[in-house]
Amino acid sequence: MNARIRKSTLLLAMLLPLAAMHAMATTATHPASAASAAEVQRGHYLTLAGDCEACHTAPGGKAYGGGLPVATPIGSIFSTNITPSRIDGIGAYTLQQFSNALRRGVRQDGKHLYPAMPYTAYAQLNDADVRALYAYFMHGVQPVDTRPSRTQLPFPFNIRASMAFWNVMFLDKRPFMPDPAKSAQWNRGAYLARGLTHCSTCHTPRNFLMAEKPSHALAGASLGTWFAPNITPDADSGIGNWSDQEIIDYLQRGSAPGKGQAAGPMAEAIDHSLRHLTEADLAAIAVYLGSIPSRREPKATRAVDTWGRPYADLASIRGKPLPKNPDQMTGPQLYDAYCATCHQDRGQGSFDGGLPPLSHNTATGRRNTDNLVMVILDGIAWRTDGSGVRMPGFAPELSDRQVATLGTYLTQHFGDPAATVTVGQVRMLRAGGPSSNLVLLARIGLAIAIVILIAILVAIVRAWMRRRHRVLPSD
Amino acid sequence: MNEVVESDVVDAGRRRVLAGMLTAYTASLIPWALAAPVASLNEGTFLALSAILVGQTALDAELGGRLHAALMTESPRFDADAQALLKLIDSEHVDPARLQATLDASHSPLAPLPRQIMRAWCLGLVGEGEAARCIAYENALNAVVVAEVLKPPTYAYGPYGSWSKPPPAKGDGGP
Amino acid sequence: MTTSTSADIVVVGSGICGALAAYRLAQQGLSVLILEAGPRIDRARVVAAFRNSPRKSDWMSPYPFSPWAPQPDYSPKDNGYLIQAGPYRYPAEYIRVVGGTTWHWAAQAWRLVPSDVRIKTLYDVGVDWPMAYDELDAWYQQAEEILGVAGADNTGSPRKHPFPMQPVAEPWSMRRFRERLAPAYPVVANTVARNSRSYDGRPACVGNNSCQPICPVNAQYLGINAVESAEAAGARVVPNAVVYRIEPDAKGRIVAVHYYDPNKKSYRAAGKEFILAANGIESPKLLLLSASDRFPNGIANSSGMVGRNLMDHPSSSLTFYADEEVWLGRGPQSPSSINTMRDGAFRSRHAAYRLDFTNISQVLSVTEALIAEGVYGAEFEKQLRWRAARQVNVKNVLEVLPHPENRITLASEKDALGIPKPEAHYSIDDYTRRGADVSKKDFARIAQMMGGTGLRYSPDGQFANNQHITGTLGMGDDPAKFVTDRFGRTHDHENLFCCGTGVMPTAATMNSTLTAVALALRTADHMHPPSRGKSSSAAGAEPSP
Repeated sequence: MNARIRKSTLLLAMLLPLAAMHAMATTATHPASAASAAEVQRGHYLTLAGDCEACHTAPGGKAYGGGLPVATPIGSIFSTNITPSRIDGIGAYTLQQFSNALRRGVRQDGKHLYPAMPYTAYAQLNDADVRALYAYFMHGVQPVDTRPSRTQLPFPFNIRASMAFWNVMFLDKRPFMPDPAKSAQWNRGAYLARGLTHCSTCHTPRNFLMAEKPSHALAGASLGTWFAPNITPDADSGIGNWSDQEIIDYLQRGSAPGKGQAAGPMAEAIDHSLRHLTEADLAAIAVYLGSIPSRREPKATRAVDTWGRPYADLASIRGKPLPKNPDQMTGPQLYDAYCATCHQDRGQGSFDGGLPPLSHNTATGRRNTDNLVMVILDGIAWRTDGSGVRMPGFAPELSDRQVATLGTYLTQHFGDPAATVTVGQVRMLRAGGPSSNLVLLARIGLAIAIVILIAILVAIVRAWMRRRHRVLPSD
Repeated sequence: MNEVVESDVVDAGRRRVLAGMLTAYTASLIPWALAAPVASLNEGTFLALSAILVGQTALDAELGGRLHAALMTESPRFDADAQALLKLIDSEHVDPARLQATLDASHSPLAPLPRQIMRAWCLGLVGEGEAARCIAYENALNAVVVAEVLKPPTYAYGPYGSWSKPPPAKGDGGP
Repeated sequence: MTTSTSADIVVVGSGICGALAAYRLAQQGLSVLILEAGPRIDRARVVAAFRNSPRKSDWMSPYPFSPWAPQPDYSPKDNGYLIQAGPYRYPAEYIRVVGGTTWHWAAQAWRLVPSDVRIKTLYDVGVDWPMAYDELDAWYQQAEEILGVAGADNTGSPRKHPFPMQPVAEPWSMRRFRERLAPAYPVVANTVARNSRSYDGRPACVGNNSCQPICPVNAQYLGINAVESAEAAGARVVPNAVVYRIEPDAKGRIVAVHYYDPNKKSYRAAGKEFILAANGIESPKLLLLSASDRFPNGIANSSGMVGRNLMDHPSSSLTFYADEEVWLGRGPQSPSSINTMRDGAFRSRHAAYRLDFTNISQVLSVTEALIAEGVYGAEFEKQLRWRAARQVNVKNVLEVLPHPENRITLASEKDALGIPKPEAHYSIDDYTRRGADVSKKDFARIAQMMGGTGLRYSPDGQFANNQHITGTLGMGDDPAKFVTDRFGRTHDHENLFCCGTGVMPTAATMNSTLTAVALALRTADHMHPPSRGKSSSAAGAEPSP
């Protein structure tokens, strides 16, 4: 399950009912200029950085042919065909229309894109990169003449125009402006991290209107199931105790020994996108991340990845039969049966650490244990780099009670002893997180929208009244 | 057989009793056993004898307690036999390498005892046949002794292909 | 009072062969019912049970024993389920649980060599198979793609398409054998259903060195994977369903099978077609059990050949100390072998064989030996490390010829449900013994080339058994001489088919599973040919959605 996409559907549910004005389409029609091979190649690199393929290619489908379904309780949302097919893709898009889709969230026919498309981040792109991306999609991608299933959501989700209102409030249309006071490396990192690699889409918490809170940039946010952690430079709550090289290793290979491993949506992002970036670009991102304002959790006492130590406990269960009822298995019994095989008898990992130790590991050291539960349930699987299943998921084998017992055992002995896993938490996460009831959310969104509209109307009327008073003081 | 009241308190006097039983020869084989806290004289005797048999100067005291309890359950004569064997080794300065042959040659009733203790520490097993029980696996001595080269079966060696590298080149002290 | 159920296809036995045949037929849209005598088990609990087992060299010990579905067990003492009629003891082992005996196989997934199916013609021994090797290629390939087989092309078995996976990374110990025995003996990677990369949603091997009794991480294909595929395709599995009778109608068509639950309540499962896939011992037992006035020799036994031609692979071996530290136990258990004696003109005189090197950790056996020898004190640790680093073993895997007198019959003793136990009549002939004698010269030369000391040959005339239960339901065109036809259909009953190693007319030198799986897929396709363009091959390349 793609939690990044799931987060987008959450966003969608909150935003769509915000009925408001309908933005006019920009209809400029520039002919596609002849692109150089170098520009096409650069565009390809940028698509990797932007992770376009993750959503726009269905498993087993043709590249960029769209059709990736995201199942929601109100119907599937399908990604679109962005190949240069003139009938079914974006072959008939001008550069300006392409730019509008990418940076404004407005498609050729003037309709608004659903916010599954991270255009608020892509808005940072400069014109040259938009041109390169356009060149790649027009000349570097094979046209696919098939139209993926059309997204057909019921009312009120089908009112795409509602996005326009939200865009007015929250879409910063200015492309990235380099800061001359900072180094070229910092500027490159900032441009990538804020733009194409769209880190904030997951890592920045959102306000009640589901817009990112700039004051809490990259300070960590729940995606409903997985938790995108704080990646600000705070040494305890963030990644301030990671060296630049550790960040680079993590973004290249999905693991930083002695720190943590990527799982869930972050593993997907690295697998599809970040591992393809040059070392220089990853280093630039690391430098930029080291410069942003720190956010510290109020109760943090030590770095997430410094908890725990190898712990020997299996001797205590040797020679004792397992209980008939699997829910009565103890922490060490569950650890023995499901974890010790790879993480070893004392949680110390394999000789070379390639099968990671469980202490000094963000998986067990985080007070919020959602990711621990999620990785036990789902495991870690990479799709494109050849490593495939890095950790099996145990959702089919382990009950909610077993995951709670096991998870708490892991945090007690290898991680933050104050962190716990509850049965209710496991049940909720297994079911897809609290965000799965989109219809309910839509209704809430609708109610909020009405309140806001009334508030705005009142404000406009008052302002108008005040102005009239000033202009005509002696009416 | 000594009557010893069980106590959690480390009893220096008790260890002195144990030490007093032994000559310098035996004591030199088991410096750790004489220094380690023990719950009872019987357990102390067991640990001292174990240290001589397995040839280790330091043993896992917690595991020792569990093995001792299991061996006692297995045989009510265990403590008495263990004391007798320790006294024999001590009084006759029996080299551990010749112990089994010595016992076998004299048709000693203590002859099965060293193997029982060795099986317990080195294979983690107590009891025979259908009554056999596994008390230790990962921390049985045969796993511990090779732990820098091998993982016990069912434990992953490492990421795919890591076993193609040569084993760590450490002298194995062979004869 | 009986309870009844029905399906298009009723499969007896949920092992790898029955489950994959069921999978294939369920994919065709047929309703498929799989009856399994034993319970469902959980991989992780087997792992935990092994670590808690006091008998770690007994690979049956972590598996549950079900009184209603007994299985042979010889440790700590023979449980007397498989009655030994002699003259040579046949201590077969198998597991009666959902998924069957591949729960604890070494995942060796070999093809035959082409001569194996023509030994009567070529060498005037045994019998020819009713098909050519080339006919099997397509089904071998499909079996290899479903199982996820890793292998090299230099083992003597021709193929038309590449293996799904590269050979599994070579353990250091096997590399040393390969380097030191070249060129006299080419040591090659075994063909195994073990992942050399993530395959079909299962991870790559991480070297647990416990392929037998259990792969803890699902890196080798097991019957339970086949069961899960069959269930995903719509097949229904009933565990703890002990089939005790096959019911024919007056014309000889099979109409139902009857089974007991653990409390001996009887049920009837009706079907249009039936597949018997309960292994080379339980399948003939069930056919013999189903004797009636109309079929006094039992079902499918007008030839009297049911249960006959029992074969396996005996092994003798040499254990010795190499003159360098190789440390067996790093990586999978059974990585490499020598395959040059799988075929040759010598087969008219003596058995063919493979030479197989173990990579099983020697720590357990060395510890047991040291304790038995009474090595105590500081010498114990020294010796343990020295021997564990150097002790190695080479064994032969010997061909056995089909002999009608080697057979499974019904014993007079009965099990807990009152079903007669199987009885094994077995002997090892001079053809096989001569093969063992020849291979002993190879053992000696290999030891010499490895600087071997402390040579310990297994006693002459004593053989370990490899649990490759073969024969007993042999395929052949002549209904007077064979139980099943070339497609596994019983000659006597047009809607009763057999899948499993029992249908193999000869045993050759290769672990029998892959051939049996290929034959099972072929049988399923013969029963209901797959529609074109909807080929069900290739379960497995990443990514799996």
